[in-house]
Amino acid sequence: MKEERTPTQAVPEPQQPNRGDRQAAITPLGTPPAPPIRSREGDIIHTSPELAVGEGDVRTAEMGNVEVVAGTSLWKDAWKRLLKNKLAVFGLIVVSIIILVSLIGPPIIRATTGHTYDSIPRDPNLIKSFAPFTAPDGSFSWSHPMGTDISGRDILARVLLGGRISLMVGFIATIVSLIIGITYGATAGYLGGKVDDVMMRVVDVLYAIPYMMIVIVLLAMFGGQSPMGQLVLLFIALGAVSWLTMARIVRGQVISLKNQEFVLAARATGVSTPKIIFRHLVPNTLGPVIVYATLTIPSVMLQESFLSFLGLGVQAPYASWGSLASEGIQNLAVYPWQLIFPGVTMALTLFSLNFLGDGLRDALDPQMRKF
Amino acid sequence: MLNFIIRRLIVTIPMVLIVVTLTWGLIRMAPGNFYSSEKTLPPAVEKNIRERYGLDKPWYVQYGKMMGSILVGDFGYSLKYEGQSVNGILARSLPVSAILGVSAYLLALIVGVVAGTLAALKQNSRLDYGSMALAMLGISLPNFVLGPILVLIFSLTLYWLPPARWGSGFPSKNVILPILTLSAIYMAYIARLTRSGMLEVLRADYIRTARAKGLTERDVVVRHAVRGGLMPVVSYTGPALAFLITGTVVVERIFALPGLGNYFINANLNRDEPLIIGIVAFISIMILLFNLLVDIAYAFIDPRIRY
Repeated sequence: MKEERTPTQAVPEPQQPNRGDRQAAITPLGTPPAPPIRSREGDIIHTSPELAVGEGDVRTAEMGNVEVVAGTSLWKDAWKRLLKNKLAVFGLIVVSIIILVSLIGPPIIRATTGHTYDSIPRDPNLIKSFAPFTAPDGSFSWSHPMGTDISGRDILARVLLGGRISLMVGFIATIVSLIIGITYGATAGYLGGKVDDVMMRVVDVLYAIPYMMIVIVLLAMFGGQSPMGQLVLLFIALGAVSWLTMARIVRGQVISLKNQEFVLAARATGVSTPKIIFRHLVPNTLGPVIVYATLTIPSVMLQESFLSFLGLGVQAPYASWGSLASEGIQNLAVYPWQLIFPGVTMALTLFSLNFLGDGLRDALDPQMRKF
Repeated sequence: MLNFIIRRLIVTIPMVLIVVTLTWGLIRMAPGNFYSSEKTLPPAVEKNIRERYGLDKPWYVQYGKMMGSILVGDFGYSLKYEGQSVNGILARSLPVSAILGVSAYLLALIVGVVAGTLAALKQNSRLDYGSMALAMLGISLPNFVLGPILVLIFSLTLYWLPPARWGSGFPSKNVILPILTLSAIYMAYIARLTRSGMLEVLRADYIRTARAKGLTERDVVVRHAVRGGLMPVVSYTGPALAFLITGTVVVERIFALPGLGNYFINANLNRDEPLIIGIVAFISIMILLFNLLVDIAYAFIDPRIRY
């Protein structure tokens, strides 16, 4: 973690080479000298002549005491700033509770009442909708705190399963978008020149495409094979369309970093281009990436729920908050709780994730903060 | 400027072709056929169907035919709604979606800009916190939850508004709930964008100049600040249109409205290839033209931008 450093300035100050870089410059020492660096037009190799002369000695002398302090302080600072933001803390707590409950909830419900998300009661009299906290004879009962759906299945168990699936889609699709976006953006930013032009023009083109329509076509045409296959299709489809902004953010960061000394040092010692990109540049872009990823999760979850609501997303026997809401809407007039419980749970989760994302942005990127 | 418009239009055409090709490719690569979803057909019948729809020809002939039909703007006939041309369906359903989308966006623009501006002027006041919390709620509440909740309140409890259907069309009670449902999220986004844009602008030098030369606060805000503060909102309009399409799909499903989105979903479920291609091509063209308009509007609002 010591090397990680979030750039807060768009233009790095040449007079103060940052601490984290020094480690990067030191570690590959001992590897045989690489072929000479090809200096391309426009590349700044040395930001100032003072730095180019005799920098080795100065670095080793300073390294020991400065680095420890500087290395940890950014994340500690960010954490402190995050804790000061009440809304972000609220978001963090609610999200943690919802993740925890949807993970450990289903086994507990199963152990105490015997209900699972797809257990339909054997007694035909029980295969109908009961209101929350109501026993079949109309008296109060703890057996179904959120009532049952038209097949007599416990809605609480289904909402928790929906939570698992919705959160899983949100996280995995975000990870897919992270992998694509970081690789693409960092490559474009580091290579620069014509390659960068072409790669970013592709992103511009993709931005203008109504991708949701294509996702709908994709899911309608290839979906419906198996519930598991449908989930995988959702991960890929949603991840593949949400990486564009990520690529732009990472590219911008990499461009502002790539002319710094630690990259030069890595190149001088013969580190290969992919290794420079992924070992030296990408870790330095983590701050904005984490912020954007936190805000991608709710937006992916929202898209998943749209698709599931339209009947193109998650398939039975699985359920997500979107598909539960779509079932609930059928009986809105008679059994409103079938829509309200999954809907409100989902809204609360998205609300909290958005607050958390905003808070993280303020904490990790004070410069991006909008007053 | 003219140069820029022409350049952009030239770029637009291949983009539409890419989108249509992708859609066509997905439909063709998918397993199964539009005619054999329920039962297997006798080979002779299948052969006739394939001949009838030109499926027996090589793929590039079919692709060429499809592309040709798009270039002349005639998308052929729907496979599901027999005897109805895709153009006819587009002409019938487009007004519904357009009315929904445009009025929802206008409503969002008015409410969002006013709320965002007020929040920025009274920064850190109760009004600011309240409207921003409300905006966050608007962003987080999916419209398929908001819509039914509005129906539950205004139709099923208070009996003020009809719960669904297009009815007699635009100036009627039927459109109120769909428009409200659709515009909520844009209201929220626009309010947030306006607030942050205005906060930035209100600290700018030219605002200080305007104050220094003795303009009233109202003139400073209305004539100077709003123009600069709304730039983020203008640039949001492009992406918003793309989202508006997803939004209208859901809202049309909830309220059972005969719009483009509803037809699009049905076409996909029925594997109605000409209708899918027609709607995709049409909407892509609309979005790309609209993005162009936004860029032009940008240049008019901000004199620093030159193309």
